[in-house]
Amino acid sequence: MEDFELLRYVTVGQYLPGDSVVHRLDPRTKLSVFLFLTLAATFSLSYAANAILVLLTLGLVLLAGIPLRYILSGLRPAVPFIVVLAVLQLLFYGDAYTPYGTETQDLLRWGWIHVTNGSVQLVVVSMLRFVVLLFLTSLLTNTTTLTGLTHGVEAMLRPFGRLGLPAHELSLVATVALRFVPLLAEQLEIILKAQASRGASIAHQGKLRFVTTARQVAVLIVPLFVDAFRRAEDLILAMQARCYVGGQGRSSYVRLHFARADYVAYASGLLFAAAMLALRNRFPI
Amino acid sequence: MAEGTLSVRKIVIAGVLSAIAIVLGWTRLGFIPVPTAAGNATIMHVPAIVGGVLEGSIVGGIVGTLFGLFSFLQATVPMFKDPLVAVLPRIFIGITAWMAYAGFKRVNEYLALVVAAVVGTLTNTIGVLTMAVLRGYMAPGVAWTVGLTHGLPEIVVAAILTVAIVVAWQHVETGRGEAKM
Repeated sequence: MEDFELLRYVTVGQYLPGDSVVHRLDPRTKLSVFLFLTLAATFSLSYAANAILVLLTLGLVLLAGIPLRYILSGLRPAVPFIVVLAVLQLLFYGDAYTPYGTETQDLLRWGWIHVTNGSVQLVVVSMLRFVVLLFLTSLLTNTTTLTGLTHGVEAMLRPFGRLGLPAHELSLVATVALRFVPLLAEQLEIILKAQASRGASIAHQGKLRFVTTARQVAVLIVPLFVDAFRRAEDLILAMQARCYVGGQGRSSYVRLHFARADYVAYASGLLFAAAMLALRNRFPI
Repeated sequence: MAEGTLSVRKIVIAGVLSAIAIVLGWTRLGFIPVPTAAGNATIMHVPAIVGGVLEGSIVGGIVGTLFGLFSFLQATVPMFKDPLVAVLPRIFIGITAWMAYAGFKRVNEYLALVVAAVVGTLTNTIGVLTMAVLRGYMAPGVAWTVGLTHGLPEIVVAAILTVAIVVAWQHVETGRGEAKM
């Protein structure tokens, strides 16, 4: 870890400015559709359902104007791991997974290796579902600002306030977290440089010396926590000094509005997900 | 002064600890290479344990949930791109850590911290691996191997870090004092 520039890694989930239909939707709509489609994707086990979901999310990503290259570039370091996992699933998981819609059929049996149509389906469906969720996450985070997201989450949780759920407080937790991430990353850089200038070596020792690496990491982590706690104490004092009393009766400067596109998107997302979930056992393959 | 269900202190601490978990993940500092299948032991769950120990189960639960959400959003591997694997088990890290801490606190403060770290790490490891097996990403045999080879170093590292952090935090606290209105 010779380089000290940690802030440049902080780019995942970045908001990409744009003016597409998706960008202009209310954050509550996008969050809701994200939830609906994630549910549909999580519980769909058939080839057909996952293929439909892939096409749908791909279409939405293109509609939003998000460059596919951007999404796929994040995957590059993980590709070997994905391939290894897929091969392991394919070769050794034949016993444990009953395929959707048909009987288990052995395709290849040789020693430990046991490939069935079940394990093939498992691998393919896992891959498809992964792509769907990747696209969905990108759709949500690349087209919505983080403050938009927190306002949206708070607005959606507010009705549960009657049941005792502290919506405003929870979204404030998220806001505080988001505000502190770049601050702490900067602080981590400072700590890294300070420790390095005092002779601490933070280059990884290689895999077997993990206790040594762990101790070296502790030298960075504990000061990070202590610094974070000091900032937290300052923030707590500042909020109390300004008589922060929670979310009761609090209004917001930013107001979210639904437009016609939002109703359309919300309704179609809900209906689609409901249909996928209700029919999930009725797909032909 | 009237306060909502979550006090100012709990809100800020939960937010800050979640931020630490996110920074650890983003800058890859939270990944410690170990010679196992999955490649890295993580310390990203430690903030959830610390939150549970210092401020109770609600804060621990919130930090764990935000850690899980971030892990889901950032995932580039199919296994962690599944919300049931990435988010669901993480909700319980802080809660179980708090329960363990509260249980052992009367015996010995340090012991309570160590047990809380162990329990929290086990919740993370066992929870995630169980969900991975149930969802078909890993064969049970592989899960056991990963669990044992990963779990033990992670537990040791988490215990050391938790004790160090909480002790340092208590020095900060007594040093500055608290001015609550």
